[in-house]
Amino acid sequence: MTKPVHLLFTMKHLLYTCIVCFTCMLHVPVLANDRDTTPLSTQKQALAYLDQQGELKASNFWPKVVPALFMQNLRKNVEEPFSIYEGRSTNFCAYAAFSYLPLHNDPLTFVTFMVKLYREGKAVYGIEYFEPSREVKLAAGTLSFKGELDIRPADQLWFLSLADHFKGYLNFFDKHYNPGDENRMWAAVNFAKFNRMVRNLFNYEVSAIGSDLLRPGVRDMYEYLSERIQTGTIALFLNNPNLYKKNHSKPIIGVPTHFVILLGVEEIEEDKIAITYWDYGFRSRQIVSPKFLKKIIFGISHIVKKTAGAK
Amino acid sequence: MQNKPTHIVWLLCAAALMCSCASRKVFSTNYYTENEKTLTSIEQLYKNINQQKHFSIAFTDKSFEYISLEILTDSIKYIYEFNIKEPRLQDTLLKYGLPVKDIADLVTQMSSIRCIWINNLDYYVNGQKRSLVFMSIRHVAINLPFTSEKYYILTFYAQPQYFDSEGRLLAGRRLRKLRIINGDVFQRINDKVCYTVSERFR
Repeated sequence: MTKPVHLLFTMKHLLYTCIVCFTCMLHVPVLANDRDTTPLSTQKQALAYLDQQGELKASNFWPKVVPALFMQNLRKNVEEPFSIYEGRSTNFCAYAAFSYLPLHNDPLTFVTFMVKLYREGKAVYGIEYFEPSREVKLAAGTLSFKGELDIRPADQLWFLSLADHFKGYLNFFDKHYNPGDENRMWAAVNFAKFNRMVRNLFNYEVSAIGSDLLRPGVRDMYEYLSERIQTGTIALFLNNPNLYKKNHSKPIIGVPTHFVILLGVEEIEEDKIAITYWDYGFRSRQIVSPKFLKKIIFGISHIVKKTAGAK
Repeated sequence: MQNKPTHIVWLLCAAALMCSCASRKVFSTNYYTENEKTLTSIEQLYKNINQQKHFSIAFTDKSFEYISLEILTDSIKYIYEFNIKEPRLQDTLLKYGLPVKDIADLVTQMSSIRCIWINNLDYYVNGQKRSLVFMSIRHVAINLPFTSEKYYILTFYAQPQYFDSEGRLLAGRRLRKLRIINGDVFQRINDKVCYTVSERFR
């Protein structure tokens, strides 16, 4: 007895589909690893690029950003990547924290993007197309009373453009920029948004644990961090009022509000851990107990460069 | 008789409302005048030590026994927490070249007027960097229910400042906009000293 023709046709196609899928599963990662690498460049290349630009003309798109100060700011970011500063009382800490990655590993792409965005009012970074809103373009260069950020117009432009472009659930009720929004929910960043920004802009492999409300289930925090810091960059999502005490009342609910880059973790005594982290344009070293460390960490992002041939 | 529980609820609500309004009143605008000598002494002492090595001190507990000491070097900021009687405090000060006696004196004076935080803050006027001394004082009143903690903040400037007709600190002589520090508007005490009441001490 012969099978109906349409059934044979379906089975044949199903078989082909399976073979194609299986082949793709085997080959795509290999092909992707050859092409899908994290872009890297040096400080020297970035400075050479800035030198080539000569004197930048004032941009019509960013009327309050003085070109000479803009270039001076970019140069300082490249020469002293730790100096980038989110400003006092702003919600820019996440944007400043992940700027650590391009400023240390790929400053050329960073400055190329910034110069293009300044000149043309739009530019592409990674897989993201930026065309900031008119309000943001008018605000960059005018932020004041924020400490050193007052005199860093390129950083103002960068942070405002990022906050304008990337939206998470925390920005649901405040999506459009109004003066002063840099201190409000408009600029807030939740943990998932932070990781998405790192992946989309800089093309890193990000493995994250933790959340916006619950701490990660890590038994030995020191061991976990010290192991991962060997292989990549670690960003921590922290409960800021515990790290930087701002009043003497005990918070009813501890929620994370601050991002830092972990630079080092060291067990110095039986019950003491020294953590070195970067935030607010400075490296800080603080000695904490393992219990305290576990209490303040809500999210850990392990950020690894994608390299050719890596599995 | 039926209204008795309702009356009790209303009375409790009124009491809570009165308590919540009381907090600001306990801060006296005369605080500076009453403690001027000690405040000026703290400011001068802090300025002198800070010229040698940048640092800040915060009392982290309500009983004024523990301090958080931040010491800034060229490359890194070290953050320590000590009991003020701990010998480790002295060792650390010596390690960073900070004057032990002066710091002890500063801590004692701060504690005597319930000053919980002293720091040097940078600000910019027409692109020029300036600095001020920032002091927070915890008020002595008992914490009332339904009230948030309030701090009396003093800022000490090196140059005379500009104020509007209501005595509010302005950004500059030509700039008529208010100068905001840590999200707060400041009021004039004299040409070089301003105050505000804030929910945050730093």
